[in-house]
Amino acid sequence: MTATKQAMDAFVHETGGWVASQLEACTRCGMCAEACHFYQSSGNPEYAPVWKLELLRRAYEQRFTIFGGIKAAIGLDKRVTDDDLKHWSELNYYACTVCNKCSMVCPMGIDLGSLLHGVRAGLSAAELVPADLMAAVNKQVDEGSPLGMTSAVWDQRLEWVADEWEVEIPRDVKGADTLVVFSSIEVMKFPTNVAAIAKVLNKAGEKWTVSSKAREVVNFGFYEGSEEHTKLFINRILEGAKELGVKRIIVTECGHAYDALRWHAANWIPEANDFEVIHITGVLGELIGAGRIKIKPGFFDQNGNGTITFHDACKIQRKGGHIQEPRDILNVLAPKSFKEMTPNREESVCCGGGGGVIAIKAADAIRYKAFELKIDQVNKVGAKTVAMTCSNCRLQFTDSVEHFKLDWKVTGLAQMVADALVE
Amino acid sequence: MTWESVLEFARGPFFYAALLIFVAGMVYRLVNVIGLGWNRDRVPVKGSKTSGVVMSFLKGILIWPFIPWVKNTFSRNPLIYVGGGLFHLGLFAVIFLGTPHMLVWKSLLGFGWPTLATPIVDWLAAVAIIAMLILLVHRIVNPVVKLISGPAEYVAWLLVFLPMLTGYMMTHHLWFQYDVLFSLHMLTVDVLLIWVPFSRISHFIFYFFARTIHGQEFGKRGVAV
Repeated sequence: MTATKQAMDAFVHETGGWVASQLEACTRCGMCAEACHFYQSSGNPEYAPVWKLELLRRAYEQRFTIFGGIKAAIGLDKRVTDDDLKHWSELNYYACTVCNKCSMVCPMGIDLGSLLHGVRAGLSAAELVPADLMAAVNKQVDEGSPLGMTSAVWDQRLEWVADEWEVEIPRDVKGADTLVVFSSIEVMKFPTNVAAIAKVLNKAGEKWTVSSKAREVVNFGFYEGSEEHTKLFINRILEGAKELGVKRIIVTECGHAYDALRWHAANWIPEANDFEVIHITGVLGELIGAGRIKIKPGFFDQNGNGTITFHDACKIQRKGGHIQEPRDILNVLAPKSFKEMTPNREESVCCGGGGGVIAIKAADAIRYKAFELKIDQVNKVGAKTVAMTCSNCRLQFTDSVEHFKLDWKVTGLAQMVADALVE
Repeated sequence: MTWESVLEFARGPFFYAALLIFVAGMVYRLVNVIGLGWNRDRVPVKGSKTSGVVMSFLKGILIWPFIPWVKNTFSRNPLIYVGGGLFHLGLFAVIFLGTPHMLVWKSLLGFGWPTLATPIVDWLAAVAIIAMLILLVHRIVNPVVKLISGPAEYVAWLLVFLPMLTGYMMTHHLWFQYDVLFSLHMLTVDVLLIWVPFSRISHFIFYFFARTIHGQEFGKRGVAV
């Protein structure tokens, strides 16, 4: 029962008044299931967000409330076992992207996403993280990146991007204003994104740099739910930023990395507040709004892209707040062909690949099933191009487009902006 | 023992004892939760926490419970949403805006307030009772709610349902003598009061915590709640 003990201790550690008051507010109405793309696509009641939380609830009630203790003692409430933990590990890592849509429909307003993250913390303490995901975490610990983007690889890739797209990528510039930290997904799989962001920032005359210390913005420790690993990876970025003396850190098209760095880091590491953390989506909005870059109106209406729609990422739009900028930009770039899916904005349906799910081979079937909801949504507006601001979503989209043999074009907002720049 | 003496007991010493347990129990629950400690949020705010909280309550209380289509998530399952809303509406109307209950409050607090006309309260009570029956069926039939319901959920349902049923029967003089129904109403109310601190019915207090947190979390990110 050591796994159980470790998990329970972690749950207890996670539980302050903030968590407890929300667990107490739950009426077990089950409405959160209506919001969950994994439940909606599969019909499996175990995928209801409230059920994924079950272990945290039991831990709280049995450890912190008299009545809960009594109920467990006389057998009215089940104690947590090692088998439970294994089962809930699958529920939480295979079938949850921590997208927090459930919080939008909870009549109590419980911030389920944060609580579900707490469940992961317990599972990670019990060493019950799925092997694929854990391997990626360990790779990031050892090599600095879950995708094997070591220092040498990073060097070589950026060199190649700069060469191939003829764009300057300032490296390790002391005294620059802005540090840009790309995700390895972009560097390794969507290099055009790297080129696009470099092109835009250069055009705007931004004093920016990348850092060989802060190479990787992705944070697999955050997926895992391990505070220790999350902090380790955040610290690498902060060290790079400190060394170069920048004022702000731009997180590129990566959702959970932005969530971790912008909305959590300061609560773990106070020095995080020495820097302004902003997502590239916000930067694009800023640069266009201030007239520092100009984009060609209607550029994407004419290039045979068909109807264009925008996919809201859970960590950048719903949990990040960059909801309006992409719309403003797309309304300039494609006033005629941009159409919204429903539901959208903060109520958007998650792509199904976030939260580390896409890194877990055993979750593939569940992940593709969840993506069927997205296919419905996109087909309803008849879109042929889907734009987004998150490379993890983009990975899920490109992979699923291949899996389902769809004829969509999948693209990133930064790339669209770069393509439509007025030279 | 006559019904008269049962009633005397149920609305006298038992009621006050139940009330005491209710208040003491809820205070204990609150202290227990608050005592777990709260971390300061050091994350810089993008929007406004205050406006998030205000919107969270406005929407949570006035809009969402009754208009499921504002959240198109519920297009598949509006019944549970409307059912829950109507049950709470009826319950609150009866408890706070029904004349007999207002008089109880007045005797406890020392002041009263205007109430709704009896037929309106009566209809709302009937709606609440019907909503409860629908929610019970839903709890048994819906795979998710069935999975997350243990004995505690059904006990809580029954203990809320009985005072509502006896209260309704009593005002309509159905089947039993008034004294009998009044006694049963008071007894079931007393039991309910005692049970609240031990059950999830206590969500009426923690609701305010959760809604505030929700408003803060979305407000600080500048996202509509």
